[in-house]
Amino acid sequence: MSVTEHDLTLPLSQEAAQKLKLGDFVYLTGEIFATAGLPTHDRLLKCLEGAEPLPFDMSGSALFHLGSLNEEAEDGTLSIVYMNPTTSTRFNAHMPRLIPGLGLRATGGKGGLDATCARAMAESGCVYLSFLGGGAPIITAGIRKVTGIGWPEMISHYRIARIEVERLGPLTVGIDARGNSIYDRTSKASLEKRAAILEGMRAERDSFEA
Amino acid sequence: MPITDDMIIEATGELYSRSLRKVPEDAKAALAAAMETESNETARQTLKLQLKSAEMSENKDTFVCSDSGVPVYFVKVGSKAELACDFKASIRKGYEVLVETIEPPLLKHVTNPITLERGYHGKDMPIVSYDFESGADYVEMVCSPKALGSGRWAALELFTFPTLEQIETYILDVAIKAGAQHCPPVLMGVGIGGTFDHCAGLAKKQTLRPIGEKNPDPVLAEMEARLTKAINGLGFGPMGTGGDTTVLGVHVDFSSGHGFTPVAVCFNCWINRRARVRIWGDGRMEWSE
Repeated sequence: MSVTEHDLTLPLSQEAAQKLKLGDFVYLTGEIFATAGLPTHDRLLKCLEGAEPLPFDMSGSALFHLGSLNEEAEDGTLSIVYMNPTTSTRFNAHMPRLIPGLGLRATGGKGGLDATCARAMAESGCVYLSFLGGGAPIITAGIRKVTGIGWPEMISHYRIARIEVERLGPLTVGIDARGNSIYDRTSKASLEKRAAILEGMRAERDSFEA
Repeated sequence: MPITDDMIIEATGELYSRSLRKVPEDAKAALAAAMETESNETARQTLKLQLKSAEMSENKDTFVCSDSGVPVYFVKVGSKAELACDFKASIRKGYEVLVETIEPPLLKHVTNPITLERGYHGKDMPIVSYDFESGADYVEMVCSPKALGSGRWAALELFTFPTLEQIETYILDVAIKAGAQHCPPVLMGVGIGGTFDHCAGLAKKQTLRPIGEKNPDPVLAEMEARLTKAINGLGFGPMGTGGDTTVLGVHVDFSSGHGFTPVAVCFNCWINRRARVRIWGDGRMEWSE
């Protein structure tokens, strides 16, 4: 048995997103957006409400929950020293509006998103890709070039970095474009197994005590 | 010869730096062992990727994770160790020097919980616990930095005269609530008894014990094996994308207490950031994990 792998080019087409299945591995080439900031997500929502323009045109793009140490040299050259996912569920309240509002085709980070987000993803045809937490060397190796830093007045991992990546991955499909979610399934399954697991522990305790 | 400020300053920075770059050997061995038993192919490949990330960070001398957390230290002063240093001031200084000099630089993760401002420094940073070691002629320091990823899923509940079943059910429920969130496979630390404050520390200290080392107390050893099997049966798997490997181990210890019994549970993500040093007055520093 092996894991199905996909080499994909960004922006992701609706068809390519629909083909991805839970547990598949994905490598991405093209342009992504990355931020790890809660205040950034608040600010993106305010942009959608018309408070200020978005720092970039993000329609059809991939916005990932990734924290990075990004730097702008005096000559304007941008670089990222390291990059790694942050916990996506922190943005559960934002993503149901950001996914359709920005028109995202892919999002991701680590730990998944909740069922409300998964429904929004199904409606928009957006996938969630899981990055390896503690995968900074692997993820950083996929960076080809930094093409923009949005909101540079914020601290490094709150800014929005626009990055050209080459075979970034592997990333695991955690929620597909139909809203099927590994996180939802494993969470429900764990609750279903709970009674039997507790019964098994009771039996083991009884046999040990005897 | 006494242990000096310079030694503590050096140890404070070096411990933190090491903990960010090097996954401890016992954690790597546990990940490799899990690959042998894991039945889910995506999970097996994720474990393999975790070992690859550990290897790459060592080879490139860089951080495994971008989130360096907040600095947390445990200090044990040997009763026969001779000190000529201001311990607290030297740890603060060591951390300050580290922040200014470390390559690559750290991100600003130290957060003021009232204003949510983030920086490198803040009230009560670094977080340090002090203890004594009878008969030892050295000082031992352990650095175990903590970030939101696994840190936010720790939990503590107070029971009155609980049965073992109530305690174990609570631990399982904390694991269910944490689910896919804490960068599994994790190491779980469990403290039972004592008082509210003591119990939380007891749980945290269990995450500093070597992974795979059997608990010398047969009742606790049995409990650890039982909980490990139970939690791995939940199915969250590496990085929470399904599988048989959610914990690398569950480490349990208890303290006597009153009839109110706290049970504390905390987690280390798969990296198990941990660095240790013993310092002698003659300048020797013995580094370990």
